[in-house]
Formats: sequence, C-alpha cells, structure tokens
Amino acid sequence: MPDYNFPGGITPPDRKERSNQSPLRTATLPISVVLPLKQHSGSAALPVVNIGDTVRVGNLLAQRDGMVSANLHASVSGTVTHISDSTITIEADGQDQWQLLPPLDWRTAANEMLVERLDTCGLTGLGGAGFPTYIKAQVAKHHSIDTLVVNAAECEPYITADDLTLRYYANDVLEGAQLIAKLCGAEQIVVGIEDNKPQAIGALKAALPHYQQPTGITLKVIETRYPSGGERQLIKKLLNRDIPSGGLPGDIGALCHNPGTLLAALYAVRDGKPLVERIVTLTGDAINAPGNYWVRLGTPIKALLAHAGLETKHLHQVIVGGPMMGTPLTTLDAPVTKTTNCLIAATYEELPPAPSETPCIRCGACESVCPVQLLPQQLHWYARAATDDALEKLHLFDCIECDACSFVCPSHIPLVQDYRAAKQRIRLKRIETAKADHAKHRFEFRQARLAREEAEKQARRQARLAQKHQPSSNSPPSGSVTPTADLRSLRIAQTAAKAAVKKAEKVLARAAEQDPHQRHDDLETQLATAQENLKAADARLAEARAAAPKKETP
Amino acid sequence: MVDTFSWWGIFSAIGVLTGIGITFGALLGMASVRFKGEENPLVEQIDALLPQTQCGQCGYPGCRPYAEAINQGDALNKCPPGGEATIHALADLLGREPAPLDGEASSEDTVAFIREAECIGCTKCIQACPVDAIIGAAKQMHTVIEDECTGCDLCVAPCPVDCIDMLPRAKPLNQWQPVINPSPLIASDRQPSRSEHARL
Repeated sequence: MPDYNFPGGITPPDRKERSNQSPLRTATLPISVVLPLKQHSGSAALPVVNIGDTVRVGNLLAQRDGMVSANLHASVSGTVTHISDSTITIEADGQDQWQLLPPLDWRTAANEMLVERLDTCGLTGLGGAGFPTYIKAQVAKHHSIDTLVVNAAECEPYITADDLTLRYYANDVLEGAQLIAKLCGAEQIVVGIEDNKPQAIGALKAALPHYQQPTGITLKVIETRYPSGGERQLIKKLLNRDIPSGGLPGDIGALCHNPGTLLAALYAVRDGKPLVERIVTLTGDAINAPGNYWVRLGTPIKALLAHAGLETKHLHQVIVGGPMMGTPLTTLDAPVTKTTNCLIAATYEELPPAPSETPCIRCGACESVCPVQLLPQQLHWYARAATDDALEKLHLFDCIECDACSFVCPSHIPLVQDYRAAKQRIRLKRIETAKADHAKHRFEFRQARLAREEAEKQARRQARLAQKHQPSSNSPPSGSVTPTADLRSLRIAQTAAKAAVKKAEKVLARAAEQDPHQRHDDLETQLATAQENLKAADARLAEARAAAPKKETP
Repeated sequence: MVDTFSWWGIFSAIGVLTGIGITFGALLGMASVRFKGEENPLVEQIDALLPQTQCGQCGYPGCRPYAEAINQGDALNKCPPGGEATIHALADLLGREPAPLDGEASSEDTVAFIREAECIGCTKCIQACPVDAIIGAAKQMHTVIEDECTGCDLCVAPCPVDCIDMLPRAKPLNQWQPVINPSPLIASDRQPSRSEHARL
C-alpha cells in the first residue's frame, strides 16, 4: 500500500452492495432508440443517414466533426425514423442484425491502423467526461508517456459498473490495457482499485500473471476514500506525481483510462465492434432488480428502469451518474448515452432533498476536504458576486466538481452548483470576447481593403493624367503638385507597413508551429490586413512618385 | 551666526542638488527610452471593451472611432449592443460615472437573413456590411455568412426590396447557461422546498 496521499477527501456511505450482489445481465432490446449527436466532449457529430434508411447494429449514423468529436453508430437494427438537430431516432425491427468491422490483431497491426480503428468505432471515455479515445491514444505524439493508469477506483457511492466489468472481463480489460499501452508507448501499467471491491481484486489477481506481456502490469489496492477516482487524485495516490494547474496527466508522463473504455477498445480492435452498448448500474431503493446491465446506447431511461422493476409510487428522483457528481433528471425520456455509467432511482427517504441553505458561517470545513486544495469559501463569495477575475485567480477551473465541499457544508450551500454556473459564465464570456476580436479583425481588414482600393484608383487616375499631359507639353500640371516632404512621409509609411506585414507573418508562423492542427483564421485576417495596408502605401507612393518628377523638370 | 552662513555653502548646495537632479533626470530619461514597455494606450483598452459589432449606432463609423471619441471625452452610454455591462466596464476603466443607456438595448442576439427569392442582386447590402459577412455579386443572389454576421442591422436599411430580416440567433448547446434562482436570504421567506424532479 503506497504512502502517498492526495489532500482532503471524504468517506460517504458507499451503498454499493445494492447493485453489486447480482450478476451482470443484459437488458432487453429497446423498441426504439434515441441517439444524441453529442455524447462526447467537443463538437456534435454530423448525421450521414437519411430518414427511412435501414440500418444494422454498428452502421455509421453520424460522422465526427473536427478533431475533438466522435462517430456515432446504430445501436439497434431497424429504420431511421427521425433526425433532429441533436438526435437520431431508430425504430428497432427486433432482428438485431450486426455489421462488424474486420478483426485486427493489436499485437501485429500498425499503430496508425489501431488509432484509426478506435476513431471509426466512435470510442470515448466511458467514465464520465466522454473524451474521444483516439485522441488520447495519440498523446505520445506530444508527450512521452511512461505509465498507463487503469482507473478502477470507482470511488463514487452506488456505482458498481467498473467493479462488475472487472469481475466478468478482467482478462479482456487487461488485454485492452496492453493495447492502449502499446499505442501510447507506456513502459508500465498500474491498476488502481479501492479496497471495497474484493471480488474484482480477486479476478484481477487471477488474471494478472497471464497478461504481463509486452508491458508489465502491477495492481495497487488503495484505501476507500472519495474522490480517489479523480484522475489527478489517483495519479497522486499511485505514482506520487502532481499534475500542474491547468495541465493534463500527459504533462507528467501518465495516461488514465477507465476499465470500461479499455474493454470497449479491445472489442473495437479484436472483434471490430463499434461502441454501441455499455454496462450501466441500475440501483436505488425504488427499483426491484438492481444490478448491472449491458445496455444499448440510446435506450430510453424510462423503459430501462421499468425493465429493472421500477416502483413508481416510491420514486422521488432519478439521478444520472453518482449521487455526488451526477445530475438529477427532470424527465425520464432521456436516453442512455456513452457517458451514462449509473442510474439511481431513489426514494425520498434514501436521498432526501437538501435542506434550505443558510448563510456561510466561515467554518472552513470545505477547505479541509477539497482534494485540489482550492478555497471553496472564497470561490463561493466570488461566484455569488460574479467577480470572474478573482475566480480565475483562485483557480476555479481546477475544481473537479467532486461535491465534497457541498457534502460537508453545515449550511447546506450548493457550492458546486455555483461553481458550475460560474465556469459556464466565464466560458461564455471567453467565447464572446473571441467573437468580438474576430469581428474587429474583419472590420479592420475591410477598412484596409477599402483604403487600398481608393489609393489604387487614385494612382491610376494620376497615371492617366500624366499620360495625357506628356505628349502635348512638358509643363507640370498645376493641380497635382506633390511636395517632397510628403514623398518622404509616404516612404516611411510604406516601410512601416512592410514591417507590419513581416511581424504578422512571424506571429502566424509561430502560432502555426505551436498548434499545427488549429486553424488560425484571425491571424490570417490580420496578415491580410497588413498586406492590404502595404499595397495601399505602395499605391500612394507610386502615385506621389509619378507626380513628383514633373515638378522637378520645368 | 557668521560661521554658519557662507555663500560657498549655498552655492555648493545648489550645485550638488542640481547635479543630482540632472543625473537622475538623465537616468530616468534613458530608462524610459531603453526599457520602453509594450504600448497599450487607453484607446486600445476602451476598444477592447466595446462589443465590436461595428454597427455605428453610436454615431461613429465603427467601434474604434467611438473608442477614440470616448478617449476625447465623449459619453460612455452610446453603445446599445454592449448594453449596461459595457457602460459599467467603461466607467470602471475610466473612473467616470456610469450613465443609463442612450437608446434601446437590443433584447437578443440577432443575425441577418436574406430572403433569397426576393433578392435582386443589387450589392447594396454587401457594401454596407462592416465585416464582409455577405457574399454575392451584381445580379446574383446574395447570402449572409451566419458565423461572421454581428447582427448590426446596417444591411437592412440599404436594401431596396426589403428582403433582409433580422432573426434571433440560434444558441448552440455549448453556450447554454444554467438558470440559478438565488435562495432567499431571510429564513421566513422560504417556501417548503418542492421537488422538481422526475416522476413517472
């Protein structure tokens, strides 16, 4: 047992025994599925099917849009009946016909092929954030990774999906870990698991000796303490490394994956099976048959809970995710998505609503439990006062929203709710600032273009005038006398414009070097503006030069 | 008394102080040239606070000219797209009193839309657009690039056939803002909390 520890943390009642006693089951096939186009972090996928198309399980429904996005596949066979801005609906035909990709052997296949397979199969992290897996698999391009961490801590109460995954598929999960370790070039794999899952630990111990090639795997059992399943917290606990503020695990040579993701990755590669189903924990006192189920993505939550024996009259609320970080649902028509790991159908007695909040008494309990060592109390004041500068200075964006501060707050202040709202507010402000900058650059470009056109027009007129006057007489035209002092200031303006173009080119080149995948539209606009200014200065100078010699030749 | 007063003493003191003054003056002068910081005049800062719609509702041809005018002492409250937030930010920056907005605040984010069947291809809106967000050519149908449009209304007036509408802009999901009702501060104001959560 390692001695390292992350600061803070709490030990809430874990209530896992309700769902981890029964075996893993398969939920009945849904009659229809509703698949949101955005089940992952990043931008929504773009539909590639039409209404009325017949699809089989695993057919591509929507293509990823941009880098941070993921493909979406049909999770039942049937007919596409509805496509909206955000969802695709399929009526199932009950046949359950599959369309699989050709299997690959990860030991022999090239890394590019494996990454492409993870991409085409629409794999995302199944733990909660839903980050596209194929991007994480390519992390070795930017960072050197030495350790792959398998995050089996599952610290949140109620959830047992990873526990059951490991009990039933320990071999496959370890093989999936080997696959990802090969892709990211890790030298060791560390499995971190909390000590409240003895059966999963037993399964892992039995499987470990068979999966030590090509990368060595070690198992580390850690004490049960929330939130040890947080990426930063687990890495601190297992490897004693601190991820810098605003950084990623890749910055310190580690990569974190959830067992469910590793299992799905192996299935995608070995069996050619896209991500169309996942293990979901159905629990809470309001259902009769709690446990873990293989559920097709897009299954309506209402139908799924009914299948697990929901007692409507006892139901108080349904929470997606765990009780700490999850979201209460306001409608049960929502579908199961790639990030739905748990559904809690709670009775009133089980999870009563929080008492009304009372004013903060500055007891400091929140500070002592914060696993990121933030100052929740200060954040609370500033979030309520919408003082966004102060919030950013206090590292609001390092908050992992673990809810430990709200859990211990004697005044029942919904702290994390405030932080989430503040984060969203700041993000929106950033988007707006970026938009304003963009509009400004386009406006400046337009101004520069108009000025250039005007100057060129002027220059052409001057040239025409000069041509007209030259054959008849050598006398200077009286109207267009340009003093030499003006010529000099125009030359200075031209030099300045040249310097501005060079500077803009340099800035663009540097940005392109740092972020080759990003588009630098704004910088390109700025460069074009500088070029327009240069052309205008050139035209004015040419015009002045055309006028100047005539004054000197009487 | 005679011992303490001497012309020499006075002149030497004046000389020393003048010398010190000149030395430090020269040093400071050199430092200000040598270590000249990145230029960020007030106009830039004011311009950064304006919403950059380039709508001209302030009476100036764009945000930058208005920023220059504010720096010359013009009123802060002439920017309807920015609304109260911009006025307060400007007042904070310049240390002036915020004044109520002159004119009507735009209630929502809008985007121009050309009814393409009615467009006659006169290019008048293209010339009016401050951010080049309309594409088209003479006698060809025009259309608005939605992402580039700032919703400034400037294209609406020049259109001879009135085929441009200002429509509310669709809000993408990533710009969604949670609605948070502040809890009542006084305990007696509280209602017994009702569950808003799902029931089947």
